Amino acid sequence: MRCHKAKECISLEMDEHLPPDVTVNLTEHLDSCAGCREFRDDLILGRRAMLATTPELPDNFEWKLQLKLNQTLQRTAGETAYPWGEPDHDRWRWFRNFGTAAAMGMAAVLALAMFLGPENTFVGTGPDSGGGTPTGVAQSTTGGAGDSDRLPLFVDQSRRGGLYGVGSQRPVSSAGQPRSGNGGLFSRGWSGHNSEDLRTIDRLRLQNGLLSRDLYQQQKLIQGMRAQLDTTDANALDLEQE
Amino acid sequence: MVNLSRDENLNGTPAPLRAELRDIRDEDLIVMVQEGHKKAFDELVARYKGRLFSFILRMVKDPTLAEELTQETLIRVYIHAAKYREIAKFSTWVFTIATNLVRNKMRQRSRRPRVISLNPAPDDDEMPVDPPDMTADPSEGIHREELANLINDATSRIPEKYRIPFLLREVDQLSYEEIQQVTGLKLGTVRSRINRARTRFRQLIKPMLKNETLLEELERIEARAAEEKNKDF
Repeated sequence: MRCHKAKECISLEMDEHLPPDVTVNLTEHLDSCAGCREFRDDLILGRRAMLATTPELPDNFEWKLQLKLNQTLQRTAGETAYPWGEPDHDRWRWFRNFGTAAAMGMAAVLALAMFLGPENTFVGTGPDSGGGTPTGVAQSTTGGAGDSDRLPLFVDQSRRGGLYGVGSQRPVSSAGQPRSGNGGLFSRGWSGHNSEDLRTIDRLRLQNGLLSRDLYQQQKLIQGMRAQLDTTDANALDLEQE
Repeated sequence: MVNLSRDENLNGTPAPLRAELRDIRDEDLIVMVQEGHKKAFDELVARYKGRLFSFILRMVKDPTLAEELTQETLIRVYIHAAKYREIAKFSTWVFTIATNLVRNKMRQRSRRPRVISLNPAPDDDEMPVDPPDMTADPSEGIHREELANLINDATSRIPEKYRIPFLLREVDQLSYEEIQQVTGLKLGTVRSRINRARTRFRQLIKPMLKNETLLEELERIEARAAEEKNKDF
């Protein structure tokens, strides 16, 4: 038997895993080989040292084990009672809180929008409106061809759609016209005033409507005069006659 | 063997005495634990706590962590007692749990970046109070500690794949077949790994083998252990 093989056999012999015939061969080898004998003695000494220096358990090991076991059992029992997880350990609670806060914020913004939302901003009355009742006849905001240098007198009613009507502008004038049905959901807004204020508003709207009608008539007059001026371009106007 | 059933326990009959439990096999004790006998679990803890702690400490080299993992192993034994089937020895099952816990912990540690303390030496105030034993010979304690440190240091320097079967054999004295079941290795691999670990261990403890003082200390420890064993009997 060679030393390399003998060292493998020594390890097996220590664990009593060596067949009897091989044990005989090993014994013969050990009798003749001092190196392998020393190797075996060292291994046995190492095992002895290993067993002799077995570490001692820390103090109160069993007490600490009992405590930990109780905690584990309580936790397990808790998980059985609340399979969806205990409220204290809810990892998504922050998300629910955030969602609630966001929903409340949105509700507040919507309420504010309803409170401050734009009313109907019909500025002028049409020429064909009977009895001073404006019907919302409108012109283009550009004022039509050739009128680009003028301010628009009427707001195009057909453009006043969408959720918030004409947008977030504050109404400057209502001109006393009835509330039209083609505005946005919140286009009329809500003033929140009392009846006295509402009457004042109606009176002012009426006045505003009258003034707008006068203004419209004045404008028509100016337009007529301009047309006349255009047609008399070839013949100079005799100012003295007038 | 003491015949104890769940009914007897629930009806308020006295629980088996510790002395009666000593003669019962591990496999029967765990069956009793399954039936609700807590004393049986206490007996299993008494039998395995030292072996488990010794194995785990020599694997992780940290007493606090070793204690924690030993407790964790025993808690798992209790919690999952119902899962044990007698297709393997109880010791195999317990050491499989312990080995898996140790492997997981060592894997976690290897992934974690190392943190070097800027103040490694604790202050005097932080040192644990450990009153000296006035009856003991101080030099004896020092030699014993030196010997234990040398053995622990040598063990920790054996590569992990050799160390597990080596410790299971030398410290916990499991058979090759049990080690095979715990580690999932082939029997031939178990043999060769134990052999390699022993060879490596021998090289590492060479300083001790030539130190007469340490050898004398070893003999003293063994003599004292034999005396204590005789007292118990």
